[in-house]
Amino acid sequence: MSDFPVFFLHGLAYGGLLFLVSAGLTLVFGMMNVLNFAHAAMYMLGAYFSYTILRMTGQFWLSLMICPLLLFVIGAVIERFLLRRVHVFGHVHELLLTFGLAYIITEVVKWVWGNFPLAVNVGGFLGGTVEIFGITYPLYRIFIFASAALVGIMMALILYRTRLGIILRAAVNDSEMVNALGFNVPLVFMGVFAFGAALSGFAGVIAGPLLSTYPGMANEILIDAFVVIVVGGFGSLGGAVVASLIIGELQSFGVLLFPKLSLALVYLLMSVVLIIKPSGLFGEKQ
Amino acid sequence: MIAKKNRPYLFIAFLFALGAVMPVLLRQYHLNMLTEIIVFALYAVSYNLLLGYAGLLSFGHAMFFGMGAFTVAVSLIHIPGLSLWGAIGLAIAMTTVVGFVTGGLLLRHKGAYFALLTLAFNSLFCAVATKWHTVTGGDDGLSVTRPDLSLGFTTINMAGLTSFYYFTLVIIGAAIVFCWYFTQTAMGQTVLMMRENEERMKFLGYNTNISRLILFTFTGAVAGLAGAFYTLHFQFCSQSAISVDMTTTVLLMTFVGGTGTFWGPMMGALVYVVLQNYLSDITDRWPLFMGLIFVFMVLFIPGGLTQIIQYVRNLFSGRNGTDKSLAVKEGSS
Repeated sequence: MSDFPVFFLHGLAYGGLLFLVSAGLTLVFGMMNVLNFAHAAMYMLGAYFSYTILRMTGQFWLSLMICPLLLFVIGAVIERFLLRRVHVFGHVHELLLTFGLAYIITEVVKWVWGNFPLAVNVGGFLGGTVEIFGITYPLYRIFIFASAALVGIMMALILYRTRLGIILRAAVNDSEMVNALGFNVPLVFMGVFAFGAALSGFAGVIAGPLLSTYPGMANEILIDAFVVIVVGGFGSLGGAVVASLIIGELQSFGVLLFPKLSLALVYLLMSVVLIIKPSGLFGEKQ
Repeated sequence: MIAKKNRPYLFIAFLFALGAVMPVLLRQYHLNMLTEIIVFALYAVSYNLLLGYAGLLSFGHAMFFGMGAFTVAVSLIHIPGLSLWGAIGLAIAMTTVVGFVTGGLLLRHKGAYFALLTLAFNSLFCAVATKWHTVTGGDDGLSVTRPDLSLGFTTINMAGLTSFYYFTLVIIGAAIVFCWYFTQTAMGQTVLMMRENEERMKFLGYNTNISRLILFTFTGAVAGLAGAFYTLHFQFCSQSAISVDMTTTVLLMTFVGGTGTFWGPMMGALVYVVLQNYLSDITDRWPLFMGLIFVFMVLFIPGGLTQIIQYVRNLFSGRNGTDKSLAVKEGSS
């Protein structure tokens, strides 16, 4: 099958993007126990910001730096002024709040940028192609996979090899004790949420040229990211890596092998995992 | 004074009487709107049984609503000579089965996991409805005509709005009363107590998993009935009936009305449909306003409109006791 390598690479690229989205989601979920329904909406916001910056300056690298920063600020504000307020009411209210925020962000996006797809062009060096496995392949898709790998490695290093990572993991287990030891735990949680938002913005910038930028993009990736979290295990970074790659490849080869069923394959995988191992491939028992 | 115990019955009788005289008072346009409100009221009530009574936040309620809507549309088109009762019965049967099967899978998880999974399943159903073009009509949707209603001794023509309105009022009204009755039964009380303290209920020998599955299936079937009437009312059914947006709609209605009482969500449905009709005349951005109202309420008025009404009522009467027969204690799981 001559198409095999191409579809394999397509799968890697989409899997990389999925990882970028679900990594932030699973990080916030694992650390703060908040399932952020607005995560994909913030990803979409990142993509639209990037579209505007690209229209104005044409600098892809610039937007790749600015958009995550913008989203970082937005994430920090949401955590500090909204999420922290409803935290005392419990889980249901946190979910309702992030759900409401996702709804509002989607409406604002439709209002400001319009309810139609916008094409984004990377241009420059990244817009080119490379020879790989004897086929000509767009460089941009390889760039997606590379940046996802980079982000994944950096997150793992920070979490498991630095002092900050130790504080983070300790705050999850016993936030009161960490607070008593003199660390500002609310600030840490704000940082985690804002970092998750920044990650979603980064993913949004990257997604823009690959998929088109349109108001339905949030819901589309949200479901796939949820499936990644369910399959990989709730709050597990390693699980997110494996599950994103599986689902990326599944989507890609699904289109090639069973065009009619490609969509159902992902859900099928999720259902099978749910039946056999409800906590996910790498999840701990609840 | 009327005994407190009888108040809900009087309230129900009053609502039915009010509903019965409405066709005389309202014009076509408003009667149309009222029919929609009644259908959505049942949908919101069924959702509140999950959210308010059991503390289960589901983002997949539209899969039952849409399933009911599509079952009616598809069966009316493909089974010639099917009666109205048959179509509605099929819709309820379908959603009961779907509720039981999906509930078995989804209820293994709680809290955020449950919310996430229900949303994923809702998208699955929506995707199937969109892609399975030969049966569901895909993006084009399905058009149906309401068959005549056979009552055994006579047949009523359902083409007119007024006759359909009365039919909706009776059937949906009865379903809502049945839901209310359900909350008063031992089963309904079990669900309520499970939300408050599940460990203790397990100690007392209740199988909480089965109770939850029964509740989930029941609410699914009720939502399916509402969906069936949605199709019959608009004589049209499209992918939007099963989309995640339809879940958002019911969530907004229920929360804005107030999850703390049985009747709150019905008020939420009224407010939502009325606001939607009038705001959409003024501005195209009305979903944004609904979203802002929703987030504002989550932040500051978690009890919804019911909380405001209760507050105002207490201001005027000077008492701080609430009507216990209607009120369910506000709380989060």
